[in-house]
Amino acid sequence: MTPRPKVLIVDDEPDYLSIAARIAAKAGCAVVTAPLALKGVELAEKERPSMILLDVGLPDISGFEAARRIRKVPALARTPIIFFTVRSELDMVSEGLKLGAAGYVIKPFDPDELLARIKAAVFPA
Amino acid sequence: MKPGADCVTSNPHMADFLKSALPGFRLKFYPSAAAFLKSPPAKGLVVIDSSLPDMSGRDLVSVLRGDKKTSGLLLVLTGGGPYSPAAAALSLENGADEYFSFPPDARLFSARLLNLLARTGRSGDAPVKPAEYRFGALIISPEARTASVGAARVKLTALEFDLLLYFLKNQGRVVARTVLLEQVWKQGLEAGPRAVDKRIEALRSRLGKFGSKIRTVFGLGYIFKM
Repeated sequence: MTPRPKVLIVDDEPDYLSIAARIAAKAGCAVVTAPLALKGVELAEKERPSMILLDVGLPDISGFEAARRIRKVPALARTPIIFFTVRSELDMVSEGLKLGAAGYVIKPFDPDELLARIKAAVFPA
Repeated sequence: MKPGADCVTSNPHMADFLKSALPGFRLKFYPSAAAFLKSPPAKGLVVIDSSLPDMSGRDLVSVLRGDKKTSGLLLVLTGGGPYSPAAAALSLENGADEYFSFPPDARLFSARLLNLLARTGRSGDAPVKPAEYRFGALIISPEARTASVGAARVKLTALEFDLLLYFLKNQGRVVARTVLLEQVWKQGLEAGPRAVDKRIEALRSRLGKFGSKIRTVFGLGYIFKM
């Protein structure tokens, strides 16, 4: 049996972490979570997820900085990262997408959209 | 000079439709939100596909409308799936100037876009907020801060009204309790997740048959769907 793709979710907000984890599970993925960015970077290196759902406003370092660090790990250089954040300012969205994000989902979010984006990232056509 | 339109879509069917429906336009295509946001224009017409590879068209509309550099753009959202008045209303409330389900009637599409351009006196003005929200018999007026079902006024506290308004502005989106505490209760007020649940319960009961439109999501948050 093919192992389920693994999704890493990094969010300091327990409600969103929990909702996103359930949606990723619904997409057919195994889920690992981290409440802080640095822990997320560490888990990404260890777990080698198929995709990463990354909050931006995290207490230790920003999700953008975490994405830069993740990208420097050769094995994770092409892992899809979707930013999942309340930050909807134009400059923030542009910065996130410039980092090569596979997606940018603004909270509050449409659960169907998040499900579709996770599926598209872990099961590319 | 030909009118211009920026088209943000990765869908080849939509690109073909736009080319055939808008022969008199200079069209410039961007395959993603990222490509368009590299250097977004301050003026002009932008046709946005609701399903972009990197973000939803509805979010892109809100982002562009919310920034003073791009708030003067004329934004046309083209949605997937059959036409639904709710999707159209939501798109307009999010800041789109026009909404079409795809594929629209080519002649109507072109005529509406030309009308929009003809009215372009707009230059970075703040977006016009809807005077009221209507969902069947439920009518909410943000200006007057009133809600009614049919002719009957719904009595709401200031906090309940703010909650309802927040749900209306975020229809179809999951809202976590903590976000409601931040965005509606605001800082400085002592409240916890239980306070949110109790207030939502009260709001549901005051809204009568519309109360069920505020649904609980996994016991962690709420979603307002008409």
